Amino acid sequence: MAQIVLHDVVKKYGTFQVVHEVNLNIADGEFVVLVGPSGCGKSTTLRMIAGLESISAGTLRIGNKVVNDVPPKDRDIAMVFQNYALYQHMTVFDNLAFGLRNRKVPEMEIRSEVTRATQMLGLEPLLARKPFQLSGGQQQRVALGRCIVRRPQVFLFDEPLSNLDAKLRAQMRIEIKALRERVPTTSVYVTHDQVEAMTLGDRVVVMKDGWIQQIGTPLEVYNRPANRFVASFIGAPAMNFMEVELVEEHGVVSAQAKDFKVELPDEQAAVLRKHSAKTVTLGIRPEQIRLGMPSGNTGSSFSGVVTVTEQLGSELVIALNVADSTIMASRISPETGVSPHARVQMWVDGKALQFFDHENGKAITCAPCTLR
Amino acid sequence: MIALALDGLRRAIFAISIVAIFVLFVGPIMILGVTSVRPASGAFYIWRGTNFTLNNFVEVLHQSQVLEAMWNSFVLSTLATILSLGITVGSGYMLSRFGGWIQRSWFATIYVFRTVPYISWVLPLYLVNTRLGIYDSYLGLLLPHIAVHVCFFSWLMKGFFDGVNPSMEYAALIDGCTRWGAFCRVALPAAMPGIAALAILCWLSTWNEFLFALILSGKRTPLITSTMAQFVTETGTEWNLMSATAVLAMLPALLVTIFGQKYVIRGLRM
Repeated sequence: MAQIVLHDVVKKYGTFQVVHEVNLNIADGEFVVLVGPSGCGKSTTLRMIAGLESISAGTLRIGNKVVNDVPPKDRDIAMVFQNYALYQHMTVFDNLAFGLRNRKVPEMEIRSEVTRATQMLGLEPLLARKPFQLSGGQQQRVALGRCIVRRPQVFLFDEPLSNLDAKLRAQMRIEIKALRERVPTTSVYVTHDQVEAMTLGDRVVVMKDGWIQQIGTPLEVYNRPANRFVASFIGAPAMNFMEVELVEEHGVVSAQAKDFKVELPDEQAAVLRKHSAKTVTLGIRPEQIRLGMPSGNTGSSFSGVVTVTEQLGSELVIALNVADSTIMASRISPETGVSPHARVQMWVDGKALQFFDHENGKAITCAPCTLR
Repeated sequence: MIALALDGLRRAIFAISIVAIFVLFVGPIMILGVTSVRPASGAFYIWRGTNFTLNNFVEVLHQSQVLEAMWNSFVLSTLATILSLGITVGSGYMLSRFGGWIQRSWFATIYVFRTVPYISWVLPLYLVNTRLGIYDSYLGLLLPHIAVHVCFFSWLMKGFFDGVNPSMEYAALIDGCTRWGAFCRVALPAAMPGIAALAILCWLSTWNEFLFALILSGKRTPLITSTMAQFVTETGTEWNLMSATAVLAMLPALLVTIFGQKYVIRGLRM
């Protein structure tokens, strides 16, 4: 196992910069997930750690060694690829043994390592098969096995579950999590799926356009997003945003828009009073919007017209037209007889509201963990 | 009703296609086969008479030039296949995996050579070969064949390597291979069906090639295709002997095709 340190790491293709001064410390044994939309630089960052892409500027350390110019084979890493990347002309056994044979490990030791990995992943009956004779899930298990047998310092995962269907993805996610408990190796995992990021990572690194937007634990990035992008990217359904005016009347600060008014608790009001602009972006998580009248002192109610309802069995998700914006509300009781075109009364707890600067999108009412 | 009419039309088109294929491809081979077992006097009216003989084959096989030509064609085809594959595999891999001005220039060169009509190469090549003193030699015949194969098959080879997932090579790099090791141990075996198909196509195209054989070979290195043409003499054409030689020339190509077709099909499916 080893610590990974990226210091001002940059990647350029010609004059086009795709990764901008990435600074990231990954502790020994930590599982870090890089998450972001397509083209955000997460896979490029991972490939730089793997040595499959050169580093244009900055320093990369694995363990105590600077590895900028070290070829992949000498970095003591293992990687799982999105499309499995199994050697199609070899059997499962040979696939698992390939890395060890390259390192001239004695055949007896190879057999014992392969056996250990296959027992861990339930691959014993498949050892004589070729990759094309395996299902997607089995192929991904072999790819994981290929990493385990080598006992490397670092595991790298490049969207390993993207090619699987939803059911298998959920199953493999649990398997990776369980595997992680048994093999606590330093890991970097790239995904665009926020569910994988939230469930697997000790820490989550949210990226956009080659910049790190926020680094934090899954709960930190969910509850205290550093900016509007992180707030919208993490969470499903996505956070609702609304342009509001901050108005102070008789010492009470409220966020107002057309047909919408929410009174803010004192802590929120104190922070927002210091903010220079009076027009801000209000963010509300869909699950924080509830049907009916408020309970408690900090709740504010508003009404809206239902445009669409989505019955999921365990919950009802509704889209509402409020203050000329469409907002989503989730975790509504599925038994509620809400139907489209109906005007409904909703409420939200002022403590659950988040505010972002209208111009640059930075969070105002939550302390950013790391923000560029 | 319309469905029945369409079905009938489909059957008619299918039947016409079968007849067309038979007339165009199988017909000439049948005429060749029958002519090869007819005496000289029966060569012009092969469907009449019942005289059949194997003497044509005996006579042809007693001509040292025919045997020598077959041996030369075999050696040339095999050498051209091995050497041109060596270059074509590297060229196809480079075109598939790397970018940059060297690759673009190479690609442009191949493209230009492919667009130049084949026949326009031959006369200049004759002059070059005589100047270099390699006219009517293995080397003089090998070099043009290799050049043609490299130009024509590099694109195919690129296609085969495009079909090999590059992630396999990245995995090999991480698993302890060098770039060369990843190519030899992962990319090359994965592209092997394609390479086998190409080897067969290379071998057959050299064996069947006529224009280079006619212009660039002479008495020292006769080739089977040009030797067949020598049965056209001032006193007339010896169709029976020419056909027997052609049948003999067809046999190795037929064997290679029959035994190699599964590799060709597998390769072309890559």
